[in-house]
Amino acid sequence: MDVALKIWRYDPDSGERELRHFEVEAPEWACLLDVLDIVKDQVDGTLAYRKSCRMMICGSCGMRMDGRAVLACKERMKPIVERGHVPVVSAMGNMPVLKDLVVDMQPFWTKIRTMKPWLDTGYEEVPEHGEFIHSQEEMNPIHKEALCIMCGCCVSECNSMESDPEFFGPAALAKGFRFVGDPRDRTKIERLERYNDEHGIWDCTRCYFCNERCPKGVDPRDAIAKLGAESIRVGIDRDMGAKHAKWFVHSAKTTGWLRETELVPKTQGVAAAIKETKFALNLFKHGKVPLPFPPHVAKNVQEARALHELVGAQGRDGAAGIVQGERALARIEHTEHGGVQRDAPAVTPGEPTPHAEG
Amino acid sequence: MRVAYYKGCLASLSAKELDSSTQALAPRLGIELEELESVTCCGAGDIHEAEPDYYLHLNARILAYAEATGCETLMTICNVCTLNLRQANFQLQGDDALRVRVSENLEKVGAPPYGGTVEVKHLLWLIAEGDGYERLKQVAHKGLKGLKVAPFYGCQILRPSKLLGFEDPDRPWSLEAIIEACGGEPVDYPAKVKCCGFPIIQAREETALGELIQPVQQSIEAGADAMVTPCPLCHLSLDAWQSKLEAQTGQRFEMPILHLSQLVGVAAGLEDSELKFKRHVVSVEPVLEKLEAP
Repeated sequence: MDVALKIWRYDPDSGERELRHFEVEAPEWACLLDVLDIVKDQVDGTLAYRKSCRMMICGSCGMRMDGRAVLACKERMKPIVERGHVPVVSAMGNMPVLKDLVVDMQPFWTKIRTMKPWLDTGYEEVPEHGEFIHSQEEMNPIHKEALCIMCGCCVSECNSMESDPEFFGPAALAKGFRFVGDPRDRTKIERLERYNDEHGIWDCTRCYFCNERCPKGVDPRDAIAKLGAESIRVGIDRDMGAKHAKWFVHSAKTTGWLRETELVPKTQGVAAAIKETKFALNLFKHGKVPLPFPPHVAKNVQEARALHELVGAQGRDGAAGIVQGERALARIEHTEHGGVQRDAPAVTPGEPTPHAEG
Repeated sequence: MRVAYYKGCLASLSAKELDSSTQALAPRLGIELEELESVTCCGAGDIHEAEPDYYLHLNARILAYAEATGCETLMTICNVCTLNLRQANFQLQGDDALRVRVSENLEKVGAPPYGGTVEVKHLLWLIAEGDGYERLKQVAHKGLKGLKVAPFYGCQILRPSKLLGFEDPDRPWSLEAIIEACGGEPVDYPAKVKCCGFPIIQAREETALGELIQPVQQSIEAGADAMVTPCPLCHLSLDAWQSKLEAQTGQRFEMPILHLSQLVGVAAGLEDSELKFKRHVVSVEPVLEKLEAP
């Protein structure tokens, strides 16, 4: 098939950017990476991009196609050609471009390192009684996070990181949960303290670009929520983000609806809220600051209160509440058309993970 | 079409104009609203992060009360409610043991059981295609006379698409179709699918404002007279926090922000008492003047 594509070139020596058009002949099974290889082999040997495994496991070939961060080895070109579309390929976002499609991953790795991405078991030598045996059920809570290949696709489109480049970001925080949720790790509290940094868990804006882009089904935003839930469960709740979240729980179990006007002092503290008086008065003028009295109480709110007590005693607190019913990419099934089947068996703690077939 | 109507917290409190315009508009669009009374906040993503198991139960309870009305659709008017409710439905529908435990818990506290028969749909989806869209075209008789409108989708009606899935999260079309059907002219700009920063506007204001400025600035550059959004949280940050952007940058934006139901409501000729534009921080007068000009 004839494949046409445009590539944003960047020359670090001259600092010039240029959108170049290419047309090559490629086999019908070709993915974006195959097409780039053909361009490099046959048209322009100076084209720069990263690659290694060609099978969605090394995480090297992250780049953008039509503005979306993708793994070049995962994107089949046939449907695009059939649509008559000419895609635009460019380097990933939120990382400095070194040349053409190659970004500087140094800031990415620095953040991964900040998470202490290694197991801390609390012992140096294997104890006398021998090895520790962990069941599949115990490992299931980190099933999704363990799938991360650190390709950077989630980071590329992270809206918080675009605004705060110091934000740890979805990849690093998902890596963080991979250890916080690991039953073998003995440094959970220290980790959560570290991840509750100004640029940590509560700096996530919940734009869900990371879940949308991740080519492996890690769902980093969900991992960040799990870290938040674990932090609050163990009492690490000093951050304004944690206080904000806790006020919603308090509202739900007292009046049912959000107690909106009290949210600012409960999140930021009374002193900070007073500083915002002028801003708040302007909002008040337009009815945007509802009076807290009489409170807006939901009908049958006693059910919401009783539910809080009931579920509090059922032992699914913290991250377990998100892990239950979660559907992970237990396996990748290739469809007839070359795409991947994303639906996979549910992973439930307490039940063995279904075996991959084939 | 009869739907269970979940208005959420903001439309009951600081964004009452969203509820009044929705209630006034729905019958004209052939949507009969069965308002849910015994429901609570969906948790807005915050309870999902603080106490996820409680979040799941609160949302299952909302879904159960919707189911008890006999309606097949639970209509939302907020992105965040839409995602939270659909996420809970997805979690519960895929796990039998979980569904049984949650449903039993609901019954223990006196709520209806959860059966998983209701689908959660945003008003946007009901009027962007099918019968709703045909009705919309008839209802929007007053038109928007070439008003240039910047659609702002916000995040949680697009992503994650495995939970939302109504349209391509990178190339959405529904708001544009509605603006056009109302006689307006949609303007395009890259930040229309990005975040307004609202979830962290209190805990990380600087980061949030760095996000908020993009759609505001880009829609002005694209020549928009107003912006429209399907989410009251996006509305609140775009409308109420705009003054903070102005203070920060020294620029004057004065970009009017309309709720989806207000934009369609203007085109459908709703009354001032239903549209309640006086409740906006940024004046909508310039839009109304432009529409009234001969």
